[in-house]
Amino acid sequence: MASPSSEATQPADVALPLGRPERRSWTARVGDYVGFAPAIVLFGLFFLVPLGLIVCYSFWQTVDYNVVHNWTVDNYRYFFSVPTYVRTVWATIWVSVVATLLTLAVAFPFAYWLARYVPRRYQKILLVLVILPFWTSYLLRVYSWLNILGPEGAMNRFLQWTGVTDQPVSFFLYDRPAVILVLVYLYFPFAALTLYASLERFDWNQFRAAMDLGATPATAVRRILLPQIRPGLTTAVIFVFIPILGEYLTPQLVGGARGVMIGNLIVNFFQGAQYTRGAAAALLIAALIVLLLTLFRRSLEVEDPYGT
Amino acid sequence: MWCYWRGQKERRQTQLTSIDERLFAERMSRGRVLRLGALGAVGYIASACGGSSSSSSGSGSATGKSDHPVTLNWLTWSDHYANDQLAAVKGKTNEQGRPQLFSDNADAYLKIKQTGSQFDIVSGDALWVPKYHKDGLTESFDLSSLPVSSQLYSIARDFSFWKDGSNYMGYPFSWSTVQIYYNPKFVKTVPDSWHALLDKKYAGKISLENIPTDMMAIAGRATGAKEPYSMTTAEIADAKAWLKQFKPNVLKLASQNNEVVRALADGSAWIGITNLGTDDRVKDAGGPVVKPAYPKEGTIGFIDSEQMVNASKNKDAFARFVNAMEQAPYIAQNFITNGRPLFNEKSYKMLVDQGHGDRAQRLLYNQPQKALEMTLKGPSGNEQAYTDAFNEVFGA
Repeated sequence: MASPSSEATQPADVALPLGRPERRSWTARVGDYVGFAPAIVLFGLFFLVPLGLIVCYSFWQTVDYNVVHNWTVDNYRYFFSVPTYVRTVWATIWVSVVATLLTLAVAFPFAYWLARYVPRRYQKILLVLVILPFWTSYLLRVYSWLNILGPEGAMNRFLQWTGVTDQPVSFFLYDRPAVILVLVYLYFPFAALTLYASLERFDWNQFRAAMDLGATPATAVRRILLPQIRPGLTTAVIFVFIPILGEYLTPQLVGGARGVMIGNLIVNFFQGAQYTRGAAAALLIAALIVLLLTLFRRSLEVEDPYGT
Repeated sequence: MWCYWRGQKERRQTQLTSIDERLFAERMSRGRVLRLGALGAVGYIASACGGSSSSSSGSGSATGKSDHPVTLNWLTWSDHYANDQLAAVKGKTNEQGRPQLFSDNADAYLKIKQTGSQFDIVSGDALWVPKYHKDGLTESFDLSSLPVSSQLYSIARDFSFWKDGSNYMGYPFSWSTVQIYYNPKFVKTVPDSWHALLDKKYAGKISLENIPTDMMAIAGRATGAKEPYSMTTAEIADAKAWLKQFKPNVLKLASQNNEVVRALADGSAWIGITNLGTDDRVKDAGGPVVKPAYPKEGTIGFIDSEQMVNASKNKDAFARFVNAMEQAPYIAQNFITNGRPLFNEKSYKMLVDQGHGDRAQRLLYNQPQKALEMTLKGPSGNEQAYTDAFNEVFGA
């Protein structure tokens, strides 16, 4: 492929072929796209087709354990007509927002410290430690919190050892705070790595220059650092917030009856063979995610800090 | 020929007697049970040439070894097999069971319905079995053609709801009631009624499995529904109202039974609604003594079976595989591991001989007729209404 500079240096008197452009055979034209075939097959068969099926299911009915192909919007109407589902969606969004903010609040200082103050040779070691939990299964990581937060867990033992309580307390587990805590733990690596990647590329001289010109550290962070790492922040939010919206295992294991999220109700539909109801609920959540991604997309664009 | 067959039969009996004697003499261990189970299977294989074991319904020979390796896809629950048992059976029959787990009967039913011949065997509960059969998803077989069926309690060979003329719709495996287990340290009055669980002093202290249909059926039992799995709209409304009152007392809707056991063991739950044998499992988990209570309104329960999938391409392998898997030594080990009654009487006798009699009797292993006194699990007349009602109660 010719670069603009090479085109500029091309002699003006080079004769270009005249007449109609050469007509390429259809096999040659198809050949141009052969490289895309695996991606098209993968995307088509394993994403678009299943998605299309889910869409169809959401407009069908289940009668006596049979999926009947009667087109209807009843599943959607049902979802919006029952306050429990709407409440559960709001509760899910609330949990996702709080967990995302807390994750960023923990991950940002860590990534900032890592990128700015830790010598480069130690950064890699610390980054490996950040991703170390991925070496164990998701399920085990959640289960481990039952041991930490449970009546006989580390937290209770510590409280009893320090004399704060004389017997185990049960409020650490089986409620929303436990769900949020575990979600923060689970998604911290995603946020930390994404933010680190942004901060690591940041030109700290700009930060120093701002402070030389009289900005306080907080102002320098707000006006110099944050605008430039906004794509990293947005990506971190996407990586954390959106998967949490679809979580069902963590609330199932540590949330108890008070920590239910919408994913749990969707699982109940599928468990009870109510595939059509489940498909409609799942698609509504997917639609919410697409909407949020569209909103986030704008934040991924960065203004030129120098205004050139 | 007759003499040869008799010789084989006697040899088989000698081998089985040998198994019994060894079990008399030695304490049962998993490895030993597997070896003995394999020996038992060999015994039956040895009798193959004399046995008239081929099924009239296409389930194939119940003994011998398959000519070529067969993989049987088995939609089942995790307590129906052990991995080393599968390996041993493969060694003896050339048939590899490949289990895929499911959580609820409705889920398994729809999977079989939608996947056609992807599965060869499906486990099913009590009244789900005739549902599978009626809808043409499974095929009945001649139970007596499986030599291992002679090890079953006679009552298990005679469930009227599993009969299809002279054939049987599934091979009987295990059963259990679902009852209340309570920690007497915290629960001073025996909760002998489902309504006792609504007491506010149990707020956030009850754990149970997250199976919407069964919970609705229990609520139906509590509110006097005539058929808890086929409630009318009014009965569903009553059951839902009962669940609403019950919800504040629920600590956790567990995805697996072991989570209920864990909650009882670590003291976070005082009461569990769960299967027989939970007291032992809690004890094994280092937990406190928990006691069973049987609600006076009655309860629900399961009778598990193994069914032959109609669309299976390996129907010929079904009988041989089941015959090998269901041998008494394996079943005895299964009882020790999972602690709920099964239908293999020979295995019960082995357990008694091995010193597990008290536990087996406490868990009603010797009273299979009790299985018919509970409300049997089955398909709901209106599953959608059941799931909707459950979700509407347990949503946020």
